[in-house]
Amino acid sequence: MRAVVKNKIGVFHPQGFLDGTTAPSLLTIEDIHATEALNVNMMLVSLEKVVYFNKNGLNVFVELLESLHLKTGLIVGFCDYDDKKYASILKFYHNAINFSLFRTHKVATLFSSSMQEKKEKKSVLVWHEDPSQRSALAIELFDRGHDPIVCQTYDEFNDKKNQTDLYESIVYNSYLGMLGSKIATRVTGNAIIYTLSGFLDAEITNQFDVTYHNNSLNVGFTLFIFDAYKVISMNIHALNFFSKLATAGAEFGANICIVGMTFEKTPPAFKDELEDAGLLFFESMDDILGDKELLKDLGGSGGATKTNKRALNKVLVNELPRFINATVNTMEMMTNSKAQKQDVKIDTLQISETKDRLASSIGFYGNIDGMVILVFPLSIAKKSCELLLGEETDNVEDILDTLAEFVNIIAGRVKALLAEHNISVDITLPRTYENVDELLSTVNERKGVQVNLDFEGESFTFFLTR
Amino acid sequence: MITQEEIQTYISSIPPSPTILKSVLKHIQEGELSKAANEASQEPALKVYLQAIVNKPIYGFKNDIKDVGQIFGVLGLVQAEQLVYNYMISLLSPSQWELFSLTNKDFADIQDILGLQWKRILEYKNITDKTLYSAISLLPASIIVCEALFKSKRDEVDLLRSVKDIDYSTILKRLTGMDLFDLCQTIASTWELPEIISKVVLASSGCSDEKDKEIIELSKWMHLLFFYQLSQAVCVEAGLNDFIDFNIDYVSDIYEEFQTIIMEENA
Repeated sequence: MRAVVKNKIGVFHPQGFLDGTTAPSLLTIEDIHATEALNVNMMLVSLEKVVYFNKNGLNVFVELLESLHLKTGLIVGFCDYDDKKYASILKFYHNAINFSLFRTHKVATLFSSSMQEKKEKKSVLVWHEDPSQRSALAIELFDRGHDPIVCQTYDEFNDKKNQTDLYESIVYNSYLGMLGSKIATRVTGNAIIYTLSGFLDAEITNQFDVTYHNNSLNVGFTLFIFDAYKVISMNIHALNFFSKLATAGAEFGANICIVGMTFEKTPPAFKDELEDAGLLFFESMDDILGDKELLKDLGGSGGATKTNKRALNKVLVNELPRFINATVNTMEMMTNSKAQKQDVKIDTLQISETKDRLASSIGFYGNIDGMVILVFPLSIAKKSCELLLGEETDNVEDILDTLAEFVNIIAGRVKALLAEHNISVDITLPRTYENVDELLSTVNERKGVQVNLDFEGESFTFFLTR
Repeated sequence: MITQEEIQTYISSIPPSPTILKSVLKHIQEGELSKAANEASQEPALKVYLQAIVNKPIYGFKNDIKDVGQIFGVLGLVQAEQLVYNYMISLLSPSQWELFSLTNKDFADIQDILGLQWKRILEYKNITDKTLYSAISLLPASIIVCEALFKSKRDEVDLLRSVKDIDYSTILKRLTGMDLFDLCQTIASTWELPEIISKVVLASSGCSDEKDKEIIELSKWMHLLFFYQLSQAVCVEAGLNDFIDFNIDYVSDIYEEFQTIIMEENA
């Protein structure tokens, strides 16, 4: 069975009846490895369409998932269940649950260590009968940039649950088992925030998703904030890690900030060394996010990429037909219509009409690296989304969300095509733009190959750059 | 990916039902088993099919039965009709399965198991309308139609399904306005199967507009039975577990009864 991968969460969707005989066929070690290779940081089994399961069946999944967690540190567990199924799982495993339970896939995304950009902090109502789980849920949510409202009693929860204006999401009948070891990452505006805690030592290099960071640099992020309120101390290995990160980011004009770090148990000389390496220290997050001028200077307000003007290279241009074919074939598949190539040019991205246009981008890295940008007229974007959404929609958020999936499909296709020619690449999380001006300021003066395509009289733009 | 034209091409490729089968079915429906057996004996492929099926362990006969008259005799009218319909559907199956990891023997086994369990359900519900016993025969046609339409589109579908939990029938519906069950209905219509059969099968998709309470009730049982079968190892390994969407809410009110009749009996 193949997993659906979105926002770095891989979810398997078995259907029907699950017991000790059928479960080994539904989820195999090969399925797990194939999903792990997609660089996910959470792997779940959805029970939404499972009408019956017993402990033998569930055990097959649990054993596979737990061994994956032990090997990789990924968050593993189940999602999309009702109250009855939740009670059954608790009954089966009572005091020995090592996996996580998320009532819905949406709840699981709140705990993913890599979150898509969101416009504002979301309030999350939290309830669990066990106080330690309650606290764990709240802490993990807070670390991921949410605003948890923790209920201390069931009555309080019932009361607040009915006040729907109080919260945007609700977390109950969920359980945190063995959590991932990756550093939580979230995107606020154009800043990427990493949350650190405890003692920082050599392990930080394993916990930090360096490819995600590098790709964020590649796609234009320049402000990276380490939330270090909960850091107790750091040693020389962590110091070296930050120094290297600052050096690597300098090429892109990136600013790396550490917020809330106290040096009570860390040699103060470390701070000087890190400042010499270019890191900036702030006492509170508000000192950065609340200061618009500073935010603009640091590049966290959507400003242009300062220094990344890497040229297209021959290898990338040679692979261009594969990129274009993957895009055209996917567009044709999604819209059930034919595309016609209009013109191709190598230049900076030129969009003559920016009104009623949406865009999405995705980076890739490995044997070759670069970024694919797609600019859609609203009508084509809506049509492309119908196959995935199942209906026409004018909701821009839904369309952008689907465009992100769409560009993921294209990147997945390119990845497969390149693999046939022994070129190995991985892909980043997709990014979407409601405003093309924002995209233009991000790609700034980067040169690339622009291909304009015609879909039923509407012009669609493909742009490949580095 | 799949266009209206491709759907039309597929529909026009459905052959008319063989005259001899029509005749066999007519005799069975009139209660003339010996005449039906005589006709069926004239069709060597049908004869071999019946001999192979009826001597499988799941039918539980101690001795090999070779003669078509004997086969129809031991099966009775209801099962004889069901098997002839199963044979008709199997005529549409590909010589080589590509999308699903199936063999024609696997497919025939799925038909047989569904047929026997459907019979058990109808007997439990005291349903005497013989036509309804054969309704189950049309259901696996959805697998054949899916194989035919999507076998060359596997990579595209895999890509689509890597970002969204979406089944083949829904993809087809969104692209062409027709789903796999609509196409089963078209097959039923081309072969002049009784209307009640296509109605029950269409409703068993779990998302039809059917209003008739009796048909809805039966279709729930059929939907759940199909997913019970699609959860079995042979179907999961063939890639059939999620080829259509399981509507768990649609069957919630019959689930406990189903457990008693089918699951506990099979345990």
